Amino acid sequence: MRAVKKTAEEQIKALIKKRSFPPIEVIIPILEKAGRGEQELTAQIYNTYATIAEGTTRILGLKDKDMKTVAKVFEIVISLEGLKLQPIELSESRFSFHLQDCPMLHVGKNVSFNVKSKFCDLICTAGSRGLIDTILGPQRGTCTWDKALIRGAGKCTTTFELVKPK
Amino acid sequence: MSFLKNSSLLILILLVAMGFAFIIAWLNVAKFMSYADLQTALTTTTGTFGMVLGIITAGLMFTQGKFGELASELNDKSPDYLAKVLSLEKIQSIENHLLTIRKTFIQLATTTTIAEERNLYERIVTKASSMFVNFAVLLNLKLKQQGLPADLQVSEMDSNLYRVYQKRRQGLRKEWQLLNIIRQVIDVWEGPKAFFIEKPNRESALEADLKDSLSILKLKEKVEKSSISISREVTKTSSDLDTEISKISQRLHNDRIPQLLSQMEQASTLRGKYFYLTLVFIAAPLLINLLILPQFSNATATFFQPIISITSFLNIMGVVFLFLYIYKILNV
Repeated sequence: MRAVKKTAEEQIKALIKKRSFPPIEVIIPILEKAGRGEQELTAQIYNTYATIAEGTTRILGLKDKDMKTVAKVFEIVISLEGLKLQPIELSESRFSFHLQDCPMLHVGKNVSFNVKSKFCDLICTAGSRGLIDTILGPQRGTCTWDKALIRGAGKCTTTFELVKPK
Repeated sequence: MSFLKNSSLLILILLVAMGFAFIIAWLNVAKFMSYADLQTALTTTTGTFGMVLGIITAGLMFTQGKFGELASELNDKSPDYLAKVLSLEKIQSIENHLLTIRKTFIQLATTTTIAEERNLYERIVTKASSMFVNFAVLLNLKLKQQGLPADLQVSEMDSNLYRVYQKRRQGLRKEWQLLNIIRQVIDVWEGPKAFFIEKPNRESALEADLKDSLSILKLKEKVEKSSISISREVTKTSSDLDTEISKISQRLHNDRIPQLLSQMEQASTLRGKYFYLTLVFIAAPLLINLLILPQFSNATATFFQPIISITSFLNIMGVVFLFLYIYKILNV
């Protein structure tokens, strides 16, 4: 039993190790100066999260395409980024949590709020879309965040929600 | 450096405490103690702390035994590393890869105008240089063993690197210490091992920094088309280095070398810091109580009564260190 668990852990570690995700605090000043490259960054982040989500669900045998799987995978991804989430709500249609730290907080002070805000949207949209599309299916969920951390508040509230079928 | 600072602070606190105790004792104790009380105090403290000293001596023997046992185990394993795990070709290949990385990132650091990017590249240069020096020390050792001319990589070093190289080479006195150098190399490359859910220590891993820089270079190559060749070269060099170092790392962890070295460090700290502190704070006052004070006449002893208070205070400090010492021994 222990050996199986270790193997899964090692497989996820190897998966994360392969990730190609530039450090936010370095890439934002570069792209800001270049004035382009945002689409490439978005694609890189989307692919990274989609690959991690696909690999993690496969390794852990998570077959259900529901919000609980999103929560589990997101928790693993976030912990590997060195962050901790405080859950608020987990139901069939909704997963909500607080984050007290975020890579965007470590972006240099000389980067303006507007730039941080723009990249916050860009990164979170791409990352969450990668997770949702892979786990729930394309266009089957949304993710919203209040950007409270970059405004200087103590925690950011983020919510994943299922899109109600029309 | 931090150890030296901690030690200095500890000594300073102890000196201040001793001075304070001396003044209090001088002002108050002399009034209340008779010569008979003094003799009782001497006999009691001598007996008690004599026993405590016995415990420390036993502890030291235990620590020394543990240290010797670990050193012997590591000494048995180290020749195999130099002979088989680190072949001449392998070390030279790693050294060449590290040199390539060093040169590439020195160049990249000088051309970028963005501070965050430059910091990342400079970090990579520092870590690659540290690994390069460590492998040069291992190469030197290997060449010497084979009777070949040593110092092959010296021409590639600048004066700072050469100074570090000389220092590390001269610091290598025991056979098992080469395993410590190999561990340092692995730690620089992979970062110290952390639990799965802990924050990965990207700051300390060259591998992670290279991966970060590659992500940046790949993004830049799409934007600027300027770094395609650099990106390819770094990707290949990093991958080759990873393959070579992973094998060494795997062997090192299979042999439990990092754990053994960590235990050695603990045993060494115990043997040094805690033992000597305990010894000073118990044996020295005991010696004063046993040998010097009983020789005094009644009048002189009355005059020196406050000194007994100080020696008793030192004994109490000694007991504190003794508890720390026992606690550490149990955790080796």
